[in-house]
Amino acid sequence: MHTLSFTLTLEGVVRVHDAVLCLAKFSEVVSLEARKDRLVLTALNSSKSAYASFSLDRNVFFEKYSFSPILTKGQNATDITESRFTCQLYNKALLSVFKGRLGDVRDKDTAVERCECYIQDQPDKTECRLIVKMVCRHGVIKTYKLTYESVEVMHALFNRNAAKNTWRIGAGTLRSFIEYFGANTEQLDISSENGRANFTSYTEKVTNGRDVLKMPLQTSITIDNLDFEDFTVQEQLHIGISVKDFKAIVTHAETLQTSVTALYNFPSRPMQLSYNEHGMQCEFTLMTIGEYRGASETPAPAVVRHASPASAANQPSRQSPAQVTSIQKPTSMPPPTETASRSFTREPQSQRTQRPSPPPPKASLDPESLFLPLDEDEDRVWGERNYDDDEDTLGWNASAKNVSELNDMRKASASSSRLEPYPAWPEDPNSRIAPTQRISDITTLFGD
Amino acid sequence: MRFKASIRNISTFTRLTASLSLLGKDVWLQLNNEQLRFTVVPEQGSQVWAVLAIETIFETYTIQSAAENNTINLRIPLLALNRALRSALNATSASIRLTKKENVPLLSLTIITNNLTSIRPANSITTTNLNPENAPFPEDLSANDSFAEPNAAGFFPHDRETTITQDIPVVVLAPATVASIHEPVCPQPDVHIMLPPLLQLKAISERFTKLALSTSTSATRDRRAADAPASSSRLILSANAHGVLRIGVETPALKIESKWEGLTNPELDPEQVEGGEEGIRVHASTRMKERHGDEAWSVVRVEGRDWGRVLGVGRLGGRVIACFCHEHALILYVYLSNEDTESVLTYYIASYSA
Repeated sequence: MHTLSFTLTLEGVVRVHDAVLCLAKFSEVVSLEARKDRLVLTALNSSKSAYASFSLDRNVFFEKYSFSPILTKGQNATDITESRFTCQLYNKALLSVFKGRLGDVRDKDTAVERCECYIQDQPDKTECRLIVKMVCRHGVIKTYKLTYESVEVMHALFNRNAAKNTWRIGAGTLRSFIEYFGANTEQLDISSENGRANFTSYTEKVTNGRDVLKMPLQTSITIDNLDFEDFTVQEQLHIGISVKDFKAIVTHAETLQTSVTALYNFPSRPMQLSYNEHGMQCEFTLMTIGEYRGASETPAPAVVRHASPASAANQPSRQSPAQVTSIQKPTSMPPPTETASRSFTREPQSQRTQRPSPPPPKASLDPESLFLPLDEDEDRVWGERNYDDDEDTLGWNASAKNVSELNDMRKASASSSRLEPYPAWPEDPNSRIAPTQRISDITTLFGD
Repeated sequence: MRFKASIRNISTFTRLTASLSLLGKDVWLQLNNEQLRFTVVPEQGSQVWAVLAIETIFETYTIQSAAENNTINLRIPLLALNRALRSALNATSASIRLTKKENVPLLSLTIITNNLTSIRPANSITTTNLNPENAPFPEDLSANDSFAEPNAAGFFPHDRETTITQDIPVVVLAPATVASIHEPVCPQPDVHIMLPPLLQLKAISERFTKLALSTSTSATRDRRAADAPASSSRLILSANAHGVLRIGVETPALKIESKWEGLTNPELDPEQVEGGEEGIRVHASTRMKERHGDEAWSVVRVEGRDWGRVLGVGRLGGRVIACFCHEHALILYVYLSNEDTESVLTYYIASYSA
C-alpha cells in the first residue's frame, strides 16, 4: 500500500495535458510510475517499436509532491529511494480530465487554479482510484475518480553511452519539416553527407503499373549541419524511424519550445530522442531500420536477419490484439525485473541481459531487441497504407481541415485575397441545412 | 528524354493544380517546345483541356525527347503535385525536372529556401496554446541556455540554404496512348456570355445544389447527400444574347432561380471563326441575337456538385466566358490574365436531358 499525492499548478496541468496527448499517439494506455523523486508517465506502442516517457521532477514540476512507500519487512533505508508505485490508466480518461482548454484564460470564471491528485488505495475504501481534484476559481472544485490497474510497468532501456551518433536541433525547425511530408508517408530516413543532413520521408514502393501514381510524395529536406546546435554523425549512415512517431514527438517538443537531442548507434538499434525542459524529462526510444552502407565502421549487430518475410508479417498482427484489448499480461510479456526498472535512464552495460524483452515468437528474433527483425523484402510492420486519406485534398472552400492551407494560399498572394473561401455544402448527410420553410407552407403558396 | 525548368510563378501553378485536382485524380501533361497542355478527363464529370504558354509558369525551360517537337507526355497524380507545390509557396527558388529513381519516373521538385522559420506555414500548431501572461514558465528561461541566439524556439536566423526535394511519381505516356485521347467536339455555341464573379456564382450554385439535395433526399434519409444520384441535384443554367444569365433549380418541392443582368456577350473574332465574316453571319450565336423572349434562351442542365467543382477554377482569378450549346453542353473558357490570351483553360460540361 502506497500513498501518493501531488499538486500541480495550472501550468503543470497544461504540461501534463500536452504529455498525455503525445502519449496517446503511441498507446491507448498510460503507465504511471511514482518514485520518491519523480513521477513518470510512459507509453509503449502495440508493436513495441516505440516507447515514450515523460519524467516529471518532484521539485521543479510539482507544487507539492509526496510519496511514501510502505516498507515491508526486510527492506532497509536504501530501498525507500527505489520503492515505486506503478499503475496503468486509459489515456482517454486522463485526457478528458486534463482538457486542453484548462489553460485558456478566456474562460476566466472556470479557470483552474491548481490540481490536486492522490491515489486511493486503502482497503477500507474503494480501491485503485486516482482522484483528481481541479480547484477552480470561485471555489469550484471538480473531482474526477479514475480507475487504474495496478500492474508492473515496462520501460524501454537505452544505453546512452553506446550511442555514437548524436545531433541536437530546435524543435521548431523539426516541426517545420513535417509540414512538407506527404500525407501518407511512413518512413523517415535520416542521414548526413558532405556537411548536410538529410531527412527523407517515403513509403515503400508499390511496384505494379498504374499504382505508381498512388505512391505518396517522397520528400527530402536537406539542411546545413551548422543549423544544428550539435551534430556528430557518421557520414553516410542511413537510419530510419516512423514518420508518425516523429510527428508526435516533434509536435510535443515544439510546445515546450526546446531543442531535441537524438542519440543513436546504427540501424536496427534503438534511437532515442529526448529533451528536458521545465522539470520535464521527455525521452522517446524508437526502433530504427536501415542498412549498412560501405562507409560504416561499426560492427554489424547481433541481430538475426534471416527471418522469413512471413514471420515478420505475422508478428504484429499476432501481437497487437493482445496489447490493445488488455493491459500487458504477465503471460505475454514478462514484467521487468526490479533491476531493469531501476536503471530506467542510464542502463549499465552489465545489466543488459536483464532488459525486459518482447515475447519471443520466433527463435530468430534478437531477444534483446525492442524490434522486429530486419527483413529482406522490406515489407514490414508499419501497417496498411491508406490511399483514401483525403487529408491532402485542397478545395476552394474552408472546411475546418483546410483552413490553414487556405490561409497559406491567401497569404501567398495578395491577388487571391478577394477570393474569400466560404464553406461548400458539407458532404455529411447529417448536416444538411435546415429548411427555411415548412413544406406545407410551400404547398399552400403554390396552391397545391 | 529530358525536362527541366525553373518555376516562375509558383502560386499560379499551385492554384492550377488545386483546381484541376477537384475534377480528377491525375492529369495528362503534354510538354513540348511551344506550350504546356494540362488535360483532365475523369471517368465521370467535366473535362478540362488547358493550354498554357510556357512563360505562364516556367522561367528557364529545357525539353528534349525523341518525339516530334520534343514532346513529352506524362500522367501525374494531381494531389501529390499540388501538395509538393504548396511546400514551395514561400521558397526563394523552385525548379522541376523529370528523373528516374529505381526505375520509377519522377517529377522532382527542388525547393530552395533561406530561412527555415519563414517557410513554416502559419496556424499549423494544434496543441495547447498558452496565453503568454499565463505561461507556465518564464519565457526568459531560454535566455539562459548555452546558445546565445535570442529565438526561444531554437531557430537560428541564417543565410544557409535549406533544400526540400519533393518527388512525385509519374507515368511517361507513349505517343500512341495519348493519340487516342480527343478533345470533345461541340456544335456551334448559341450564346457566349461573360460569367459574373465566380465566387458569387459558386456560392449561389452550391446553395441551390444543397437545397436540391436536401429536398430530394428527404425520402431516403439513410443515404449520404454526396452519394445521391446526379438527377437529384441538377441545376438549370440558361443565358441569352442580351447579357442575361439565369441559374435555377427545380425539384418537386421547390423552384428557385437567380438572374444576372447586364453581362457582356463577347463578339466573335472573324479571324477565329471558320469562314470569316460570312461564317459569323451564319453562326448559331448570330441567329440567337435576333431572338427575344422565351425563344432567346439557350439552356443546359448540369450536375450541381460537378459544377461546383468546375467553379473552383475561380481561385485562378481569370476572366471566364461561358458558351452555351443549347441542350447539349456548356463550355467555359478561362483566360488566366487580361493581356495574355495564350493561356486558356477549357472546361467541357455535358448537359443532361430534361
